This record gives sequence, structure tokens and C-alpha cells, in this order.
Amino acid sequence: MRSELTRFPLVKALLKNRWPQLLVFIVMLAGFLFAILSGFIGTPVGSSNFGIVFVWIAWWAILILVAVPFFGRGWCAVCPIPLPGEWIQRGAILEPPSRKPRWLNLRWPNKLRNIWLQNLTFTLVALFSSVILTTPTVTAIVLAGMLFLAIGMSIVFERRTFCRYICPVGGFIGLYAQAAPLELRVKDKRVCATCKDKPCYNGSQVGYGCPWDVFPGGLTRNTYCGLCMECLRTCLYDNIVVNARPFAADLAKPSTRLDETFKAFIMLGAAMIYAGVLLGPWGALKLAAYSVGTTAWLGYAAAFLALIFGILPAFFTLAVKVGQRLSRASTPQHLFSKFATALVPLGLMFWVAFSLSFVLTNAAYILTALSDPFGWGWNLFGMAGIAWQPYLNALLVPLQTLVLVGGLLWTVRTAQKVGTEVRVSPIPVIVFCTLATLVMLGLLL
Amino acid sequence: MSRKQWFLIIFAGLAGAVIAFAPLPVRVTPPAQRTLRVEANQFAYSPAVLAVNPGDTVTIELVSTDVVHGLYVDGYGVSVTADPGQTTRLTFTADRSGSFRFRCNVTCGALHTFMIGKIQVGSNILLWRALGLTILASLVAIILFPRPAKAQAA
Amino acid sequence: MRRSEMLSRMLVIAGVLIVLLVPLAVRFYDGQGIVEIHGRMAETGGWSPSAIKAQVGVPLHLRLTSDDVMHGFAIGQSEMAAVDVPPGKMTELTLTFDKPGTYTYYCTRWCGLNHWRMRGTIEVTSDGLGAPQPVSPPLYVTLNLDIDAPHPAPVTPLERPSALRGAAFTALLPPSYLTTDYYRSYSPAQAFNDLRSDPALKSLNNAQLWDIVAFIWQSNTTPEGLAAGKQLFAQNCAACHGENGAGNGVFADKLAAAGEKSSEDMTGAKGMQMKKPVNFTDPANMLGASPALLLGKTIRGGMGTGMPMWGSIFTDEKTWNIIAYLYSFHFTEVTK
Repeated sequence: MRSELTRFPLVKALLKNRWPQLLVFIVMLAGFLFAILSGFIGTPVGSSNFGIVFVWIAWWAILILVAVPFFGRGWCAVCPIPLPGEWIQRGAILEPPSRKPRWLNLRWPNKLRNIWLQNLTFTLVALFSSVILTTPTVTAIVLAGMLFLAIGMSIVFERRTFCRYICPVGGFIGLYAQAAPLELRVKDKRVCATCKDKPCYNGSQVGYGCPWDVFPGGLTRNTYCGLCMECLRTCLYDNIVVNARPFAADLAKPSTRLDETFKAFIMLGAAMIYAGVLLGPWGALKLAAYSVGTTAWLGYAAAFLALIFGILPAFFTLAVKVGQRLSRASTPQHLFSKFATALVPLGLMFWVAFSLSFVLTNAAYILTALSDPFGWGWNLFGMAGIAWQPYLNALLVPLQTLVLVGGLLWTVRTAQKVGTEVRVSPIPVIVFCTLATLVMLGLLL
Repeated sequence: MSRKQWFLIIFAGLAGAVIAFAPLPVRVTPPAQRTLRVEANQFAYSPAVLAVNPGDTVTIELVSTDVVHGLYVDGYGVSVTADPGQTTRLTFTADRSGSFRFRCNVTCGALHTFMIGKIQVGSNILLWRALGLTILASLVAIILFPRPAKAQAA
Repeated sequence: MRRSEMLSRMLVIAGVLIVLLVPLAVRFYDGQGIVEIHGRMAETGGWSPSAIKAQVGVPLHLRLTSDDVMHGFAIGQSEMAAVDVPPGKMTELTLTFDKPGTYTYYCTRWCGLNHWRMRGTIEVTSDGLGAPQPVSPPLYVTLNLDIDAPHPAPVTPLERPSALRGAAFTALLPPSYLTTDYYRSYSPAQAFNDLRSDPALKSLNNAQLWDIVAFIWQSNTTPEGLAAGKQLFAQNCAACHGENGAGNGVFADKLAAAGEKSSEDMTGAKGMQMKKPVNFTDPANMLGASPALLLGKTIRGGMGTGMPMWGSIFTDEKTWNIIAYLYSFHFTEVTK
């Protein structure tokens, strides 16, 4: 069922050589800084500002509609945020230097070796999202903040602690990367078991130890592998491969971690809330979400948190409990988390359906922002005067229906596989997911 | 797979096709002239949900109550702009059924891109079809894989 | 250091510098000799800058943009066509002034209750040549009118007067009533009383006299003037006074609500307060106002009541056109 992509010499050469990746990094870093710059000195009108349009329309579209579903952590492989910090941390940009600089190089605290902090950062961004994604300066501050935090953490801690434990985006990319048809694995685990130096984790003359603090030999899921390709370069035994595989292969091994489970709830709830608040016809809700600090906003924030951390998990728990009753099963461990694996394809498809509407409606701004990135009257590609209009509007509803119904089928199969494994009826969980899909359809169509 | 399962799959496919595409008897209402007054302010329309019958000649009177706003109807591609104090009218024939969003097409502040209303022309048939497909999909999946006998290889 | 490492560092630095410096450099050189004006709603700052200097005969290059909602730009007391200033776009405009003086530029698209506060000035100087325009005092000043005093109409017509019917009595009417001076100086109610006590018109009944008043008012305007007045009213007045003049525009309630609170000055003392816009369709009020009085109210403004001052914006001709249009809420067939 898997097809090794690295068996093609060209693919392997492109991944193993540092230059292609570096060149992409440079372009990405330039674009990232350009977005920050335009946020600070460009027009404060979001829909005409490169920073807003490129981050929240173009990048978001590519990330959620293409990168995550098809390449998993593919974005992390080219994300420019760690580059400046790693330059300082490693003392080099390309290959490992002969003498490494002595920074603090601390290990990340054990208690924080989970994605709860990422759950927190994402929730914070989500609570303020109406302001962040409409105000160029705020977007620029958030982007710059991420860049500087990553630099600071590279100096204090070893490896990419920002990416792994803080980045609000990285958390959900990891969760949904499990569903992607692409993976980095080892060919033969026995080779790793006998490998003495484990340069993939510890680093060597030719490459760095895994920046994501993962031992490739133990990889069974995509969640925390950033596809940075360092292990491909350091492995002495040519034991690292990149495979094409069936979608959702990782979901066959249900997660037992509560932090990941809640990530799934956060993403599921946020997609539903955004579909209602941002794309719905209720103006008061939009104003409440935007008016940060007011009573209305506090109400919105409370409802947001209640849905994500209270209502959805409570109904889900109920569903799991009913399933247990139905099957008169003993109580296997981590039942809640294991069943929540089904929420991974469901949440991903909710986000795809939501983003389709948002992105197709606003795609026209990409053309104008390319030609006049700062709203200064430039016309670089002659498209600055293009009038706004939604694109592919007639396809939207059929596409969303397809995505949501397809997503539900995928979810149901995932829940059934979990049910088989834990010997608990998945039907109540399926009912929960079906109801959620019906609500989402009602909000979007 | 057993024959029973194959039958079920074929049945589900047919049922799905019926739900998705079957022409429905349309309740014909004599077309009427309808004038709907819609107030626009940052960042909402009031009323935000309009309902008309297919075939109606719809006139939307757009009254802006703070800054310049527009109203663009998805699916119809028609639009109108109004300044405060200058009501404008948009007339079109509601010849496509379904639910369409209408949105502001004159940048009107931070939440401009989210200033959205809905116009329902007849019933929102695509939503009903989608809901039907969803329930069918989940029922079929439950019946198709009723009681997983043994744990499959992970 | 290896050459590859060197090269990659240079590439990274070059990439960063290019994206940061090129836009700034282009911005700097592109902006030479051009004044860039940003428009914001009055509550968040209005125009910036709001004071510009220019010289007679020297083209003034402007770039206009809005930072929030749709605005417009025009120069007061001129025939310059207004340009739109849409958010996030740049509108280029070149102005050349042939007379020195202080010009007002103002927003021409309603952008909230305080839209009319969005104004700025251009100080145009000349090198010795040409003196500022001599300013003659407006009519309400020469007539010594108290434009803040109530002006109830002592008499009002029972039915809507008709200029067309009034025209039938032209033969009887002494020509002094038809002069512009007469029309501008007296209210319709005063004109009615003058006509009532005029022996030449003794034979006419009240309704007929009102028809003559309507005729006098019509004879002081033209269809084009009324059309222009109507358009100016729609663009500048209707948001508060209502599209039909009834004082019920979209901002009327907000003005009334601002009421009490708006009246406190910085020391807490009560002054004029925001109030509901005047209803132009009420004859008891409107027929007691002379064109000179309305001119005064229009150009000086309501001083804290929410009524803008239009003196630096409208030419006299435009103001007279608006005023003529206001009376058309009371007289039929005026446009005929």
C-alpha cells in the first residue's frame, strides 16, 4: 500500500541536497518579512494589504486545501520562521560548522513535552482572530512575534522548541498530518536498533540531529515529524524513506494523548464557530467577536471556550459512554482519546469546507494585492484595478457538500476501526459526528 | 464482501443519486413584485435573511445608515451601492432557486469581507439534498459494517 | 568558512534586504513632490494632513487614499468635480490654483455622523501677485437677521399653493414683488401678508394670494437650478433631513440621541446641543423663513446642533439652488 518516493534518484537528490530547500527558505523568508513590512507600513485596509491577503487568504488556502491534506507537515518543511533562530543556534545556515557556538542549549522541560501550550496559543489566536485577520498591524505583530519568539527560543533551548511546542499553526498541522498520504519513515527498524551513534537524533558531521526532537527509528505517526529531511542526510545506512501512502494511515493507531484529543476538539469547534460567526448573516455576533475587551466580546469568548472545552467534549463523552453501555464492554483505557481520533478527518474536512467558501469569495484580493501590495497605488502586474467578485461561486455548494459528506464517511470508517480495536460500539460517536456535520452544512449552505 | 453488502452498496449509490439529483416537484407560486427594504450598517444587513419565491421580480431598496455600503448577490452577480441619505434600488428576477449570500462590495471597514446576508429563493433545496446525503452516508456505513467481528490488524 | 556557507549567508541577507529596502526606496523616490493625504472617519482623525500649502499657478500633486471606508474629495467654493477616495487605493489628482486664498477640501461621501467634520485647508499664496478675493458680507448679515431665533409662520395656506395658478395673476401683480431682492429678503408668510395688504390685490382670496407667493418663488429659480438643488440636497442634506425633507434621515435618531450629552463643553457647561434635524415639510416652520435666513443657517451652520457649516463648501449659487429646492416641498408645479 506504500510507495517509496525516495527510490527515484531525482527526488532523493532534491531532498538530500541542502540547496533546493535553502532556496525555498529564502523565498519564503523574504515573503514572510514582506508581509510583516506591509502590515506595518502598508495601508491599514486589510483587503488591500499584502500581509492580510497573503497570510489569511493565499497562504491559508494553500495550507488547508493543499498542503495539510496532501503533504501533512509539508508546510513545516519550508516554513521560514525557524531559519534565523537556527542560524544563530547552529552557527551556520547550510551544513554543520566545524565549531558549534555555545548557547544555552537547554532541554525543553518534561512537563511541557506535549501540545497543551500549542492548544493554548491556538485558542488565543482564535479568540482574537476577528481582529488579527482584519487588521494589518495586528497580523504583522503576530507574525513578527512568532519570528522573534522562535529566535529567542533557539538561543535558550535546543532544537526547534518553538515549532514543536509553541507554534499555534504547527499544532493542528501535526494533528491533521496523520491524515496525509505522505510520510517519512525508516525502511528497516532493525537497522536503527543496531545503529550505534544514531546521528539522525544526535547529529553528525553531515547534518543536524532531528530539530523536532524525534527519533526517526521510532516513527509511527506523522504528528511530530517536520519533514525537514535532516535524518535523510545524516543516516549512515540510507534507511530513511519518504513514502506515498493511503490517506489517514496513521489513524489506524488511535491516539491516547489527551492534549491531542483536545486539539481535535479545538479545531472542530473553531471551524463551526467561524462558519457561523464569520460567514453567517448575524451581524451582532461578528461585532461581538471583533470588539475585543467589551462585554459582548467576553460573552463571545466564554461561548467559544464553553463550546470547545465543555459542550463538544461533554456530548462526545456521553456518546462514548453510551457506546460502552451498548457493547457491555469492559472499560479499556483512553477510550475518549481513542474515539476522538475520528474527529481528525472530520475536523480537517470542516476546515476545508469553511475555507473553500472564504477563499473563493476573496480570491480576487490576491490579484490586486500582488499588483499593489501596500495600497500605495503601485500596479506591478496590471491587476491593481480588478474589481472584487467571488470566484467559482456555482461550484461552492456542491464542493462543500462533497467535502463534508466525504469527510463524514471517512470519519465513520475511522470511528468503526477504533470501535473494532477497543470493542466498543462506535454508533453513538458516529451519531455525534453526523449531527456535527448536519450543523456545519446548515451553517455553510 | 458478501453479496448482501454489494447489494447495499449499489442501493446506497442509487439512493444517493436520487437524493442528489432527482428533480423535485416545484411548488409553483405566481410570480409577484416584491420590494424589500434592507438597511446596511457596519457590519450587518437588517433584515439579514430575505425570502422570495422563484420567479418573483425582486427590488431591494438599500438604505445605508452609516457609511457607503454595497450589496452584491452571489449567484446572480448583480450589485448596488448606497450612500447614507441616498436610497438605491436593485431589481432582478429571482430565476434561480436556492439560498444565496449577499455581501457588501464597497470596502466599509475592518469586517467588510464578513458583512453578509442571505436571500432564499424558494426552499434551500441544495441544503436538504446535502442533509439527506449525510444521513444516508452515515446509515449505510453503519449497516455495511455492522459489528466488526474481530479486531483487524492495525 | 566554506564557500557554500558564505554564499548561502549572502543569499539570505540579500533576500531580506531586497524585500525590506526596495519598497522603502521606491516609496521615498516615488513620493517626491507629491502630497499624500489619508482619509479617516472624523472620529478617528479625519484628513491627515489637514493643512497643505500651495502656490498660485504651481500644480499641486495630490495622492489620496482612505484608511477605512469610502470617502470623496473636493475643493469647496469651486466647480471641481468630486473624486472618490476608496479604501486601500490611491487616487491621483493635480490641482492648480489661480487665486491666492484659503481653500477648504472636504469629504464628499457620507462616512458617518461626523462626515462633514472631515475637512482640511489648502493655503494658497502668491509671490506678490494678486490679492485675496474681497469678501462681501452675506445677505443675512446685511439684513441683520437673528438666524437662531424661531421663525414661525404667522399664516399658512390651507391647501398646497400652485405657481401655475399664481401665474394667471401676473397682470395684477406689482413688479416690485418679482425682484430677486424681494424674494431673498422675505419669507413666504411675509410675502403673503404683503400681498394681502396690497390694494392692487384686494379682489383675490387667500388661496389665490398663496398661489402668487408660489409664483414669486418659482420665478426666482430655474428648472436647472432646482435639479441642481435637488441633487445637492440628496448628497449633502438627506442623510439627516431625510430624502423627502421630513427631518427623518438615517442619522436623525442618532443626532437626537446624542442630545444632552453633546451639549457639554469642556468645562461641563451646557451650550447648544445636537437635536433632531429640521423638518422642511412643516409649513409652520418653513414658510416663516426667508431665503436670506436659510442662507445664513446653511453657510454658518447650527453651531453645535449637528448642522454643518457649508459656507466654505458651497458657492452662493449652489446654496441658493438648495434653498429654492427646500421651498419646493411646499409649492407644487414649481418645476414645471
